[in-house]
Amino acid sequence: MVRPSRFEIGEGMRDGVPVLSVAGELDLNTAVELDRHVQDTLAAAPAALTLDLSELMFMDSSGLRLLIELHRRSCAEGWTLVLIPSMHEPAQAILRLTGADAALPFEDPQVS
Amino acid sequence: MAENLTELILDRAHNASVLMNAQGCVTYWNPRAERMFGIAREQALGRPVAELIIPERFREAHREGLERFLETGEGPVIDRRIELVGLRADGSELPIEITISALREREEWSFHAFIQDISERVRSERERERLVAELSLALRGSERRFDAIVGSLSDAVTIRDREHRFLYANRAALNHLGFESWELLRDTAPAAIMEDYLVQGEDGQEIAMDDIPSVRLLRGEQAVEPLLIRTVHRETGAQRWQLLKAAPLLDEQGEVEATITIIEDVTQERRSELRSAFLAQAGAVLASSLDYEQTLRNVAELAVPEIVDWCAVDLLGEEGERQTVAVAHVDPERIALAEELRRYTPDRLDPEQGLGRVLGTGEPEIYPEITEEMLVQAAVDERQLQLLRTVGLRSVLIVPMRIGERILGAMTLVSAESGRTLDRFDLELAEQTAARAAVAIENARLYSERSLIARTLAQSLLPEELPEIPGYEISSVYLPARETSMVGGDFYDVWPVADSWIVIVGDVTGKGIQAAALTSLVRHTMRSASEFQSSPAALLAFVDATLKRRPALSVCTAICLRLDREGATLAIGGHPLPVRIGADGEVRELGEHGPLLGAFADVCWRDYPLRLPAGGTLVAYTDGFTDARDEHGVRFGVQRLHETLAGLGSRSAVEMSEGLIGRLNEFQTGVHADDAAAIVLRRLAPGERPRDRRARTSRGTDTIAGPRSASDTTITRV
Repeated sequence: MVRPSRFEIGEGMRDGVPVLSVAGELDLNTAVELDRHVQDTLAAAPAALTLDLSELMFMDSSGLRLLIELHRRSCAEGWTLVLIPSMHEPAQAILRLTGADAALPFEDPQVS
Repeated sequence: MAENLTELILDRAHNASVLMNAQGCVTYWNPRAERMFGIAREQALGRPVAELIIPERFREAHREGLERFLETGEGPVIDRRIELVGLRADGSELPIEITISALREREEWSFHAFIQDISERVRSERERERLVAELSLALRGSERRFDAIVGSLSDAVTIRDREHRFLYANRAALNHLGFESWELLRDTAPAAIMEDYLVQGEDGQEIAMDDIPSVRLLRGEQAVEPLLIRTVHRETGAQRWQLLKAAPLLDEQGEVEATITIIEDVTQERRSELRSAFLAQAGAVLASSLDYEQTLRNVAELAVPEIVDWCAVDLLGEEGERQTVAVAHVDPERIALAEELRRYTPDRLDPEQGLGRVLGTGEPEIYPEITEEMLVQAAVDERQLQLLRTVGLRSVLIVPMRIGERILGAMTLVSAESGRTLDRFDLELAEQTAARAAVAIENARLYSERSLIARTLAQSLLPEELPEIPGYEISSVYLPARETSMVGGDFYDVWPVADSWIVIVGDVTGKGIQAAALTSLVRHTMRSASEFQSSPAALLAFVDATLKRRPALSVCTAICLRLDREGATLAIGGHPLPVRIGADGEVRELGEHGPLLGAFADVCWRDYPLRLPAGGTLVAYTDGFTDARDEHGVRFGVQRLHETLAGLGSRSAVEMSEGLIGRLNEFQTGVHADDAAAIVLRRLAPGERPRDRRARTSRGTDTIAGPRSASDTTITRV
């Protein structure tokens, strides 16, 4: 058996903005779970949504795809997406590799 | 699914049910166990069984027993009912009866115990002992007083003398043995009574007169344990489970003068227990594999001999024809008989009777008594009739396996040798088993169809074989994901354009049909665009624009490499950087990161010129390699990949591919959670001949296709 990915999502509010904190590994299996949380949160039509990825250890293309989709949706629907970058190198790597660090709305432009 | 189903059943079990791992800790604890020991499930899970429910004075014996079992695979307590003392949370003790089964799964032992609180039984046993003492006195006094005491007991009580003749039987015993009066019983020889029944022990072995507790007491044995037997009346086929307990009646010299036997009818309890255990096991077996034919054979075997003597499973084919997939028999040698009988059965069955009717109507059929007339009517010729008689059918049960209104097949359960008739209880059990089997078959069918589609599709997404590139050795690797029903998103391709060659390696996100469609689009877009665009960066931009025109988000990573006489040009879109390995083993990443394709507005790619010196190798790979995890969740990673490649620096392209696969398989013990692809390109020195004349496409072991044979590719030098 392949071990299930270590993954946790925390829900909270910061300055009136819903925050989803994502810790662990965001991959094909766990991206589905994050997507579900995001959809639930967006159902209340907030003006902004923050994804705190600071404790994200690893992300694969499925996770990245989810972030890109969210970014597109926020532009189309007129709400603000804020991404807080990961502090961990493996998760930063894919963002750098794909140019997503510059293209997605990260709070601190210096991801690395 | 297996665990859920099994737990669902065990949660409702009448007995306490506890699962223990090889370390002696609790891994399952049902609600009945919570009540029996006063310990909640959350508190029990993970704790040593010894600390929870075993009184301190027995813990050492428990530990030694477990150790011995783990060493030898044998233990005196396994698969037997034994009486022990249990410990409650409040420190009080209770007498328990426990049946332990050892289960072996993936090299790990675990132990399951059904536990019954027998305080009540022990209390009544003490009461009986007192009664027996009183009885022995009474026997010597007045017989009348004695009958007044035991006559109205609901348990059957018999007393036999040294010669085993009946001295006494109460009304329950007379009923039980099928005698209308005491006189009739008294005048019948004990052996003759036993002959009316087929008597088996708990393990299915035949029980002889010598095994009966009262007979053992008369032989002078001390402390004879109660004996659980299954009796089947030869004439009526009725089945009963009985617990026989015997005690000696001693004369003044202390010699056994007579024996008293109390026969407790435990048919209901025993059958409920067997049913829970059977369904739990069947659920686990059914969910254990997606090879449904094998699974059904396992289920058929499970039903024999616990439930019936024969079990056959037939499925309906697409044309409505019948396929027998499993036949299990209590005596494996007699399966040949079943085979021969089957030759007499047409694929198109008579829709008016038996199996044909069940498959047609979806309703079960039960034939409690198979009569000679029924055999004569069913037989098509003398030989078949003879076979049917040889089988000795007693009772037959046919239940459909269905999903909603759709009938997938049927299970046929036959009672023959055991002589017992099948009843409503068996019908209910068979129906529950068939319902579970139907779900398993349906899942397995859907899965194998999906796997086939996925394999076909995946094959069409990769080039059948790699072209020869003058001056280079080229080899490819593709390892499909473990989940074979999913098409992965990794791809590569190599093709000639004018006087140069294009090599691409990429990864579309997602899996399944959408990923396959996207892979196909990217490959064909690149191929078409390469006819009029020579810059790799321009090719990536072209693919990027194509992806952005799609309605749904379609993203892809890719590297594009162009090889021509002057050298090579590389462009990278969101993909891991390819590496160059020198003949000396030096590994260096090539090019620079560029944005993901199809994802972002206002982005561009750059061409990166590079030189591949003679003897040097370029490896372009997908993140399936670096993201692969070992059993502890540790990723293979870029560092390990580079080290692996460094060690393979002087090898040929094919050897390097094989080395890479070998190292990865070793790391993740052969299981690819995600797919992985790579292209290995080695520059030959002027005048050097390619070292491989072997396969150039390496694919994983559980894969789409094996490595290509030596004959279908040859490599020529410039």
